[in-house]
Amino acid sequence: MITITDLEKYYATEEVRTIALNKLSFKVKEGEFVAVMGPSGCGKSTLLNILGLLDDPDGGSFVFNGIEVAGFNERKRADLRKHNIGFVFQSFNLIDELTVFENVELPLIYTGVKPAERKVRVDAVLEKMQIMHRRKHFPQQLSGGQQQRVAVARAVVNNPKLILADEPTGNLDSSNGNEVMDLLTELNEAGTTIIMVTHSEHDAKYSHRIIRMLDGQKVTENVLAEFKSV
Amino acid sequence: MIKNYFKIAIRNLWRHRGYSVLNIGGLAIGMTAGFLVLLYVGFEMSYDSFHSKADRLYRLSTDIKTPSDKYETPVVDWNILSELESEFPEIEMSTLVMGTDIDVKVGNENYTENRSLAAGAALFQMFDFKLLEGHSKTALSAPLSIVLDKTTAAKYFGDGNAMGKTLKIMDGKYSVTVTGVMDDMPNNSMVKGNIILSISTYTEVIDPTLKDSWANFENLGFVLLNPETDANVLEAKFKPYVEKIHGEQMKSSNMQLAYFLEPIQDIYLYSDRGSTPQITNIYIFSIVGLFILLIAAINFINLTTARSVERAKEVGIRKVIGAQKGQLAFQFLGESLIICLFAFLIAVGLSMLALPYFNELAGKVVATSIFAKPLYILSLLAISVFIAIVAGAYPALVLSSFKAVKVLKGKFSRSSKGILLRKGLVVLQFSISVILIIGTFVIYSQTYFMQHQDLGFSKEQLLILPTNNQNGQEEMQKALASNPDILSMSTSSSVPGGGGEWQTALSVLENNMGQDQSLTLNRFNIDENYIPQFDIKLLAGRNFSKQFASDSTEAMILNEKAIKLLGFADPADAIGKSFEQWDKKGTVIGVIKDFHIQSLQEEIMPLSMVMGSGDNKLLNLKVSTQNLGKTLGFIKKYWQEYFPNKSFDYFFMDAFFNQQYKSEERFASLFLNFALLAIFISCLGLLGLASYSTLQRRREIGIRKILGSSAFGIVHLLSADFLKLVAIAILIASPIAWYGMHSWLQDFAYRIDIPWWIFLVAGILAIGIALVTISFQAIKAAIANPVKSLRTE
Repeated sequence: MITITDLEKYYATEEVRTIALNKLSFKVKEGEFVAVMGPSGCGKSTLLNILGLLDDPDGGSFVFNGIEVAGFNERKRADLRKHNIGFVFQSFNLIDELTVFENVELPLIYTGVKPAERKVRVDAVLEKMQIMHRRKHFPQQLSGGQQQRVAVARAVVNNPKLILADEPTGNLDSSNGNEVMDLLTELNEAGTTIIMVTHSEHDAKYSHRIIRMLDGQKVTENVLAEFKSV
Repeated sequence: MIKNYFKIAIRNLWRHRGYSVLNIGGLAIGMTAGFLVLLYVGFEMSYDSFHSKADRLYRLSTDIKTPSDKYETPVVDWNILSELESEFPEIEMSTLVMGTDIDVKVGNENYTENRSLAAGAALFQMFDFKLLEGHSKTALSAPLSIVLDKTTAAKYFGDGNAMGKTLKIMDGKYSVTVTGVMDDMPNNSMVKGNIILSISTYTEVIDPTLKDSWANFENLGFVLLNPETDANVLEAKFKPYVEKIHGEQMKSSNMQLAYFLEPIQDIYLYSDRGSTPQITNIYIFSIVGLFILLIAAINFINLTTARSVERAKEVGIRKVIGAQKGQLAFQFLGESLIICLFAFLIAVGLSMLALPYFNELAGKVVATSIFAKPLYILSLLAISVFIAIVAGAYPALVLSSFKAVKVLKGKFSRSSKGILLRKGLVVLQFSISVILIIGTFVIYSQTYFMQHQDLGFSKEQLLILPTNNQNGQEEMQKALASNPDILSMSTSSSVPGGGGEWQTALSVLENNMGQDQSLTLNRFNIDENYIPQFDIKLLAGRNFSKQFASDSTEAMILNEKAIKLLGFADPADAIGKSFEQWDKKGTVIGVIKDFHIQSLQEEIMPLSMVMGSGDNKLLNLKVSTQNLGKTLGFIKKYWQEYFPNKSFDYFFMDAFFNQQYKSEERFASLFLNFALLAIFISCLGLLGLASYSTLQRRREIGIRKILGSSAFGIVHLLSADFLKLVAIAILIASPIAWYGMHSWLQDFAYRIDIPWWIFLVAGILAIGIALVTISFQAIKAAIANPVKSLRTE
């Protein structure tokens, strides 16, 4: 599903040029659950942004679903993104002025789904995330775990092929964190590809494969024992 | 999607209620002010435009050139209109219009109608004054006919039965018949009165010699031209014709007359014949209105862009989810539109509430309802939409181009461009405010100056009775003399400020070279008590005296201005010089110090005083301030006894004279109100910006405090930035204000020098107001617990 080859990304200030990604290559197959780990500043987030089509690489190739997307303009990227990729963030990133229902509905609005269908799909996903009873609440009225469930609901409402999760449990206590990880596992079992950036070895164990990075490069790639057959 | 935008907009407004109140409130107040100015300007521009034949109506006016002076008058003499009309077929119709006051007796009730007119039969055919009863062609044709407006008809006769009734006018001397009832004349009409007497009453009944008179300038003259006539071409034909028929008379009287046509719609705005053209005031108010609207719009832009940073996260999320740049821009524009329409609705409400006060402030009924002219409301709506687009464009463009990654990662930094823009706009706002503050100071100083300047005569305690010098006056004077609270009495034709009858007379006087010099002089008929009573200083010679019988025919007193024109440096040198004026011929017996007979807006004119009798229609009483009510009652009693056909009428000299400054006072108070509004709205904006920037720097403030900064240091930190802006604004505003007010003052013959301290005071005021506004926020931030502010980050 995803093939990146010699991916490069630089950040340049007036005096220093920092290499964020240094000729990084790997593949992710459809249906995989991949964890990306590494210390702060190793380039994890940059990678996630490029994979999520939020940012453009400075070199190398990025093939998404058989299409070379490196060099796409913003409009094309936004288009591809809204139909194919869902995001889950550490800090939830819900819009405070919108209710739970409205937050989840938003991606459907941007992809042009009709109101009646939107309601059906949002209700279905809220039901699935067990947050239906909170549909009229605003984000600040929810606990962290509930907010992240809403965020996950929003990420999946469009039935994306790929979910990118950036430290999804970072702001949660362990029981809420486990709940979210269980949710992601369920989604993965239902066929969604997941790439997750995390600091937590505990969370990484939920994945099939761990990619460890340092200074913009892949250092190791270990497939967890029970998934070796995949 | 629109519903989603709408929802988020409303929730945003609600969540940040404080900002919303500042934002929408400021905008609404600004729009209200702008709207009222629009109504005012619209009203002023509409003068005399409601006549269906307005494009063919002209006022005929006369330039009078004497050997010494040239007068550009708005008036014509009694016969020129009919002469021109019969000679030039281009003139379809014409009428004289005389403004006068007429006393009216209905049954046993006496009324004095100060706004009376006399006009010719063509009036109702030329102008669109609506006649409710009577025939437009004939209502004013016969002598002793009178047309009343609806209000006056109701006042005299109750509703609906005035037609054909008889009234007594002019001390009961004439009986006139009501031949028409008209609608009350519109407020935006130059020709305006409550009652209209047929002008043939004057030429046929009151004074038949008027028909043969020449160069007796009393009336306005209006002509209706044929549709194809070019007024300029016609005007050019007047000169040779007038030369032909009046050449001899002009030569013998040393007076050259020239006639001009002024389009009726331009008179109020542009003509300086007999009135001040209003166009300057209209410009000033338009600019002030635009200023206020601009200030309000700037507030809106500033608050919206400043707050836009808070929306960055939302933008990031929406982008991640798949929003296109255009969709986001559209969302923010839409939001701005919602706010502006909100403000528009509030402005409409505020305008409705404010209109009666505004009418009062303006001194005229500018509009009876804000919906009277739908076009204005639509203009306001258009302005709101325009502000929405301008104010929404910046955040729409900036926000929609945020990089989602950066925003969500918190790497987003406030763009320095946006801050610079806001600072620039704050400078602009405060510049405007400071200009208005300085303007207000100057206008008030000038008004104060005019009202408190030594006029050269004493206007206090003077009670003026327009007795018209009727039979019985002498007896009444004798009776009044018995009252000790009446300190002195005099009679005259005129008093300063335009009271009574004002005459100008072409006179021939001996100058310092011993030659006869022609000079046009103002002429007051007075008696021997007038000069001491008005406290006018005698510089040389003597006052009139009953002891010299010849004083009433052969003596004249001149003011300084007149003897300067004759070339005398020392007043004493003018004494004994010869004069000729109308029926009088004699010598100058006295020279008085110049005193202001007109408002200080006008230059002092050369003045002659002669002893009169029949022309002295005013009885002037100096009264003690004690027992004033009792004294008035005493006078009234004798008035009713000696003048049973005349309603009791009087005025106080000081109030009467100051009435001339009414328009300046009004101007000043309108200006003051608008300046206050401008400052208020600017402060609203500053308050919003200050609280916002305080919020933004909360972390910085926390760190500084932990590192040991005092509360004062924090206040200083937060205020200094804004105060710098205000200081720049003062520097920009001062020269502009100086220039503007300097030009404004040029219209006044006697004016103040703009004192330097006005700029200082305005500056201190602006800084003070700004400081109070900012420190409110700054102090709050400075005394807050730093730990708390750091934790919330």
